[in-house]
Amino acid sequence: MNDKQVKHSDCRNFIGVDVAKGICGATNDTVLIDSEVCATFVMLKKCKNCGHFTLGTEKTLGRCTGFAKPDWVYEDLIAEQCEQYSPCKKAGVGGQ
Amino acid sequence: MLKRVAKTGDKGCCAEKATREVKKQPSSRTKQLRDLYLSTLSSANVEFPYWYTRKYNEMEHEIPVIRRAEALKHAFSHITPTIWPGELLVGSKTSNYRGSFPMPWLSAGYFVAKQDELIDSADKGGSSADEVSKFGAGGGNVTQSFGNVVSIAGKFGMRAEEVPALLKLAKNWSGKSVEDLGHKYEQMVPEYATKEAVMKSLVCMFDSGYTLPQGREVVNYYYPLQYGYDGLLAMAKERKAEVAGQADGDGIVGMDRLYFYEAVGITIEGIQAWHLNYAKEAKRLAVQCRDAVQRQEYEEIGESLEWIAHNPPRTFREALQMTYMIHIGVINEDAISGLSPGRLGQVLYPWFEQDLAAGRITEQQVLELLECHRVKLTCIDCFASMGVVGGVLSGNTFNNLSIGGLTKDGKAAANRLEFLILEAGMTCESTQPTLTMLYDEKLPEDFLLKGIECNKAGTGYPAWVNNRNGMEFLLKQYGPEGMTVEEARAIAIGGCLETSPCSWSELTLNGKTYQIPGGSGQPTSVGVHFIANPKVLELVLTNGYDYRTGLQVLPPHNKELASYDELQGVFADYYEQVVNCLVKTNNIQHDIWRKQNMAVYNSLLKPDCLAKGHHIGNLGYRYNATYNVESCGQINMVNSFAALKKLVYEDKRYTLAEMREALLNNFGYKTAEEVGSFSFAQQEKREGSQQQFDVIHRDCCTAPKYGNDDQYVDNVLLQYEEWFCRMCTSYQSLYAHPMYSCQISVSTHGPQGAVTLASADGRLCGTTYADGSVSAYPGTDRNGLYALFASATCWDHTLSQNSQLNLKLHPTAVTGLEGARKLLDLTRAYLRNGGFHVQYNIVDSKVLLHAQQNPEQYRELMVRVAGFTQYWVEIGKPIQDEVIARTEYEGV
Repeated sequence: MNDKQVKHSDCRNFIGVDVAKGICGATNDTVLIDSEVCATFVMLKKCKNCGHFTLGTEKTLGRCTGFAKPDWVYEDLIAEQCEQYSPCKKAGVGGQ
Repeated sequence: MLKRVAKTGDKGCCAEKATREVKKQPSSRTKQLRDLYLSTLSSANVEFPYWYTRKYNEMEHEIPVIRRAEALKHAFSHITPTIWPGELLVGSKTSNYRGSFPMPWLSAGYFVAKQDELIDSADKGGSSADEVSKFGAGGGNVTQSFGNVVSIAGKFGMRAEEVPALLKLAKNWSGKSVEDLGHKYEQMVPEYATKEAVMKSLVCMFDSGYTLPQGREVVNYYYPLQYGYDGLLAMAKERKAEVAGQADGDGIVGMDRLYFYEAVGITIEGIQAWHLNYAKEAKRLAVQCRDAVQRQEYEEIGESLEWIAHNPPRTFREALQMTYMIHIGVINEDAISGLSPGRLGQVLYPWFEQDLAAGRITEQQVLELLECHRVKLTCIDCFASMGVVGGVLSGNTFNNLSIGGLTKDGKAAANRLEFLILEAGMTCESTQPTLTMLYDEKLPEDFLLKGIECNKAGTGYPAWVNNRNGMEFLLKQYGPEGMTVEEARAIAIGGCLETSPCSWSELTLNGKTYQIPGGSGQPTSVGVHFIANPKVLELVLTNGYDYRTGLQVLPPHNKELASYDELQGVFADYYEQVVNCLVKTNNIQHDIWRKQNMAVYNSLLKPDCLAKGHHIGNLGYRYNATYNVESCGQINMVNSFAALKKLVYEDKRYTLAEMREALLNNFGYKTAEEVGSFSFAQQEKREGSQQQFDVIHRDCCTAPKYGNDDQYVDNVLLQYEEWFCRMCTSYQSLYAHPMYSCQISVSTHGPQGAVTLASADGRLCGTTYADGSVSAYPGTDRNGLYALFASATCWDHTLSQNSQLNLKLHPTAVTGLEGARKLLDLTRAYLRNGGFHVQYNIVDSKVLLHAQQNPEQYRELMVRVAGFTQYWVEIGKPIQDEVIARTEYEGV
């Protein structure tokens, strides 16, 4: 995981509605993606939290080595359905 | 019969506004889900395109159909399943509630140009429609960037952090997309230079091959409903063994059957994984949920999705869920606008009937499920360019559900479930699915009155379509492919009101057999779309030169146009030059599409792909003669011809040069763009302009007008129709079938009106054309509805895929049961006279005026535009102005 500030859309409890907001599955409240997260934050599996991911030089893009043929990937790609996801050590709670 | 014309300058806010008589409410669950929609932004992401592209690139060694199937499987298997609280039906295009995504494998140029301007999209003629197309600024449209949200194509919001990935994907497809490959080869058409000019001048609205290569068609749910996905996998495996290595008499594509069946299996595995991911998510939510009722609902969702991932549905709810997932699966496979569920009430009737009889469900529960279904279909967005989504579609997706019609053996097909579909259309007012009543004399009166009740709710649906007319058209067009009268009875409407070929399939449920209808033809969103008829006439008068762009669009004819016959002759010649270059170039685009981007999932659903072993591109469908030529602005063109005939050629009141001068000077008025209104009634004289053109403008405005049962002008329409419908059939699609006429405007009468100079009917520069194809120009139908009907039916509507008549009625005109019966009688009168289609906006124009001035108060207000119902606040101003300006009838 990189050092950028986490967003609500990085949380496993977040139920996305649109590009600006979602619903918190823990509280059922509407939350803005870019507002500050709370103590119940649980890290969602995203490429940026995966051990196969390395950040590249292009903004928000990196490299995925999880598949037979490595390829570029973007850090915010949700990886909940990815069979190759492997949590990196810094991913914290969730994401494993 | 009374009527009035509203003007956008009216102070609607001060006048008393009439409300609609019928107003119902959804269940609290549905209301919550619909309210969530109403507060949701149209959101795009790149999850599906990322997974698709990654696998596609990995499979570069494979043949195209397998490569595509593997890419689809990879994408479906990996997209994030989201389940929103309270949902009974689950599944969505993306992880967002109102989500969509670009398909750069179809068209990547826009995004690449956006980043580094390497490609000037104007060179391809694709930008003109974007320039003059307008979205409504309200509702869920993200018309401007804000915070970490980037507005794309004037409608879709995308997270800023995903934009680099979007651009990376676009670059990946640059030079390989259907658009780019098609462009490479379309330039080899000798008339390509003309095509370029035609597109830049917006004589034609858009290329169909890479924008919306499928759609305006009826989906078919039969095979998964009957056999389940495991059954289809077994079928594909068995057929693979039967055809492997054998041409079976077809030396061209006989061998391709093996690859198609292999692709079917791969795609189904992806679809199954997609279902199972939802099941897994539902079960995860159930474990976490503290509310017992919600927990049980999650568990039921999980169990249901797990079952239908493999097996045929057991219950009405499972069948509805399965059809909905099929629907989303198809529109995720390709950029599709107007995928229509068809006669869903007849498809689902077996489960409805048996569940009710067994006490497994109540009608109230069915109604709530149908309401949920409405919300889910309303959440569908289609990602395309501004010109297409805004200018053509007004953001609509045209999931048209047909009701009524006839059974296979010729009886009235209406059933109790269709009553509930109409009821849900009232309790849960929403834009999708729009409804079409396949009107047949055999339908019961109470069913028809239920349709009228729904109209009175102001929803704009159901549209009323002449079932027998539609069948007659189908038999003419698809008879050579083997369509029988029995099969024509399976008719349904795809998209706005595109008559679509369908067929019957025998479904067995618990030992009882049913004949269910379903789509069996190619898309009808394909071909030449849309030609601005008044613009072609303008070019005739300007010797082929477009004053807006400064382009010589068509070669100068250099004729004096000394007679009306010569005027008509040059018009026909110009029109045919336009169609000729567009047919050829679009055929190439679609040919690239079928070779590189063929439908696999949609193909396996439709007869007879599984039987033949061929996908759509190899003519697997039962009916393939679906390509058409679409026109727009027909009534302004007809009125203009009538004015020229009368004022120039017969009465000789003006020379053609004087008329041309008046048109080029917009009769002394400012342009619509300068005024900021696109309604004819709202235009302003140019300051300092002389009175030079006042008399000629008055004469043009008072020349004979369509819609008044006036033979003079109706004969112009008749002559045009007989020529146009015949002319279309002289062109051949890439599938070597004759094309046909399609006469709907959708929303193109806004942008195409915006690029058209003043016309000889008195219409001013840049104002919106008349909508539909047989609707009168606002304010010009002065002799009442029956006179309008007589004008509209002066020609044979069965020569065309459709015609379109929109009427605006004041709510007080149809109050009570008496009003309902009058409206039904009115509808009958039109359809019995040979009209193909009529639909109603039952709304007080003062409400629309107030809504235009105070959009924040009208998020839920819906209006009928031209074959579809849309939220008022999401419609661009040119179309809003036109809807307000339409003649409003205060009595029927």
